[in-house]
Amino acid sequence: MRAYNSIHVQNRALRQQADRWQREGLIQPDQREAIRQAFPVPFRESNVFAELGSFVFTVLAVGGAYAFVLLLINGIIDNKAAFAGFNGLVSLVLVFLLHTFIREAQFYRNGPDNALVVMAASFLVTAVNIALPDSAALWLRCLVSVPVLLAFAIYYGEVIVAFMALASFFASFFTGFLEFDWGRMALPFMLMVVSLLLKWVLNNVQSRLTEADQTYFADALSMGEWVCLIVLAAAGNYFVVRELNGLLADVPAGQARPEVAPQIALPALFWVLTFLIPAIYAYLGLTRKNRMYVILGALGLAGATSTVRYYFPLLPLSIHLTLIGTLLIGTAAMAIRYLRQPRFGFTDVPDGESPRQFFLNSELLSVMQATGTTINRQPDMKFGGGDFGGGGAGRDY
Amino acid sequence: MSPIESLNHLRERGLLPDEQAKIIADIEAKRPFSLHWELRSVLYIGILLLSSGLGLLIYENYDSLGHLTILGGISVLCAGAYAYAFRVRPPWSPGLVQSASPFGDYALVLGCLLFLSLIGYAQYEYTVFGTRYGLVTFVPAVLFLALAYRFDHRGVLGMGLTALMAWVGVTVRPLDLYIKTNFFDERVIYSALALSGAVLGAAWLLQRRGIKPHFTFTYLLVVGNLLLVALLAGLFNLEPMRFVFAVLLMGACALFDWYARQEQSLLFGLMAAVYGFIGLSYLFFTYTNPGFYSSTFYLLATGVGLVVYLLAYRRR
Repeated sequence: MRAYNSIHVQNRALRQQADRWQREGLIQPDQREAIRQAFPVPFRESNVFAELGSFVFTVLAVGGAYAFVLLLINGIIDNKAAFAGFNGLVSLVLVFLLHTFIREAQFYRNGPDNALVVMAASFLVTAVNIALPDSAALWLRCLVSVPVLLAFAIYYGEVIVAFMALASFFASFFTGFLEFDWGRMALPFMLMVVSLLLKWVLNNVQSRLTEADQTYFADALSMGEWVCLIVLAAAGNYFVVRELNGLLADVPAGQARPEVAPQIALPALFWVLTFLIPAIYAYLGLTRKNRMYVILGALGLAGATSTVRYYFPLLPLSIHLTLIGTLLIGTAAMAIRYLRQPRFGFTDVPDGESPRQFFLNSELLSVMQATGTTINRQPDMKFGGGDFGGGGAGRDY
Repeated sequence: MSPIESLNHLRERGLLPDEQAKIIADIEAKRPFSLHWELRSVLYIGILLLSSGLGLLIYENYDSLGHLTILGGISVLCAGAYAYAFRVRPPWSPGLVQSASPFGDYALVLGCLLFLSLIGYAQYEYTVFGTRYGLVTFVPAVLFLALAYRFDHRGVLGMGLTALMAWVGVTVRPLDLYIKTNFFDERVIYSALALSGAVLGAAWLLQRRGIKPHFTFTYLLVVGNLLLVALLAGLFNLEPMRFVFAVLLMGACALFDWYARQEQSLLFGLMAAVYGFIGLSYLFFTYTNPGFYSSTFYLLATGVGLVVYLLAYRRR
C-alpha cells in the first residue's frame, strides 16, 4: 500500500538516470526519447521554489481554515473528548483532500501534498495527545506519537513526517531517561547505542525492500541515516555531553546554575570519542566512497577541533582562525592539485550530480555574509549602518 | 535505484543494446568518486576563516612593534592574492567565462576580503578619508563591481553589492537572515529605493546589451530583495505616503512575476508572492479591522490563492 504509484516513482528515477547518461554522451538522444516513452511518469512537474512556497502557503491556508472552523464551534476546546475527536476529524479531512489531489492532479511531493501529509499527521498526533490523561509524561506522549507518525511516513514516504517520527523517537528516549536518577549519566551511552541500533535497523530494512520501494523511500531512509549518525557523533562529543549535562543538572534550591558546566564523569573516554567517531566516519567515507560519511567526517572533525579550542583556548581567536584557515586552504589546494588526475578512485572533476547552482548560491551568500561582517567590524561605528541606524549615511559623500 | 538496476530495466525492455549496456556498466563501475564540491567548500571556508582571522588580528596589538608587521604582512598577502588572480585571469568576454585556473577565483575573493579589512582599518586608525565616511564602503563597492565584471565572478559581484548597500546604510548578512538599518528613517528608505532602482536599471541595460547577462540573477536576488524590503518599510512606516508605496510594491511584484515567467526562474515568482502577501496582509489588517472570522478566512483564502498562483507556473 503506497499513496503514490511506486512504479511511476521508479520510472522517474530511471528517467533521471537516462537524462544523466545522455548528458554524458553515453546514450543517444533518440534512445533517451524511447526510454521516456517506455517509462511514463504522469506526475506533476514542479520547481523547488514553487514547492517551498506552496508548502508554506498550504500550511497557512490549513491553519486559517482550522482556526475558522474552531471559531464556529467555540466551546469545543473545553471538552477533551470532543476536541480530540475534532482534531482527528480534521486529520481525516486533510487525508481525504490529499488523496483527491494525488488522484486528480497527479501531485507527487510538489509542496502542497507534503504540507498536507505533515499537517494531517500533526493533527492526528494532537488528537492522540489530547486524549491522553493530563498526567501523561512527556516521554510517553512522544512515544505514542511515534507509531502515528511512522504510519504516515511509511504510507507516503514523506521525508518531513519521517523526520518527525525519528525526532519523537529520540525525544522519548531523551526525556524518558531523565526520569531516573542515573538517567543523566547513562544518557549519552544510551543515545549512542540507540542511534547505532536504529542505523542498523534502517540498513536492514533498506536491503529487504523491493527495488521500487527502495526508490520510494530513498529520501526518508537517507535522512534517517544522517540523523542517526549525527546523534551518534553528538552523543559522543565532549562539548555536547558536558554542556548538556550542565544544563540538565538539578540546581539546589537557592543556588544559581554554575557559569561553567561542571566536569563530567569519564572525561577521557568522551575526549577519545570526540575524535574517534568523526575519524571513523571519515575513514568509512574514503574507503567506501560514501559522500554522507565524507561530509559528516569532515564536519565532525571540525567540531572536534572547536571543542578543544572551547575548553583550552591557547591562542587568541584571531590567530586560531588564521591558522585553521591557512590549514584548510593548504589542504584543499594540495588535494585539488593532487586529484587533477584521478587517483585511488577519487577525482576533482565535478560529476553530473553535483549541485552546481546550490553551490554557487551558497558561495554568494557566504561571501556577502563575510562582507557584511567585515564592514561592521570597525570598533567604533564612524559611518552609517552601525548600531545607531543608518541615519548618518545620507551626508558627506 | 543503482545504475546497474537501471541498466537491467532498460535491457529487459530492449531499449539498450547489450553491447552499449556493457560499456555503461563498465564506466559506472570505474567511475571515480568526485570530491570537487567538497574540496571547493573546504577551500572557501578556509578563505573565510583566514580573512576573518586576519581582520580581527589587525585590531589587536595596537601599540606593539609587531603591529606594523602584521599590517604589512596582510597588505602583501592582499596584493599577492590580487596579483595571482590577475596572472591567471580569464580572457575578457561579455558572456559567461569559465575560469582557467582552479584557484584564481578563490584568490580574488581572498584579496577582496582582505582589502575590505585593510581599508576599514585605514579609516579607523589613520582616517584616510577624513570625514567622508561613505568612501570606506563606496571605494570597495566600485572596485569589487569592476573586478566582478572583469573576472566574471558572481561572488565578488555580491560582495560589491553588499558594500554598496552598506554605503546607503543597510547592513545585510544573508546567512543570519539579517538586514539591519533604520527603516523608520525616511532618508534611508529613499536612499535604498534610489540605489536599488538605479542598480536594477543598470542591470537591465547591461543585460540588454548582452554584457554578462548571467549577472542579472544575482542583481535581482540581492538588490531585488533590498527594493522589496524598502518598499515594505515605506508601506509600514511612512504613513502619509502609504498609498504610493502600496502601488509601487504591487508594481514591483508584478515586474518580478513577469521576469520569473520570462526567464522561467521561479525564485522571483516566490519573492513576488511572499512580499506581495506581506504587503497585502498589512493593508488588510490595518484598514479593515477584521474580526476573528474574517482574519482566519483571509488566511485561508490568500493561502489557497498563492498556492494556486505558484503551481500555475508549470502550465506554461
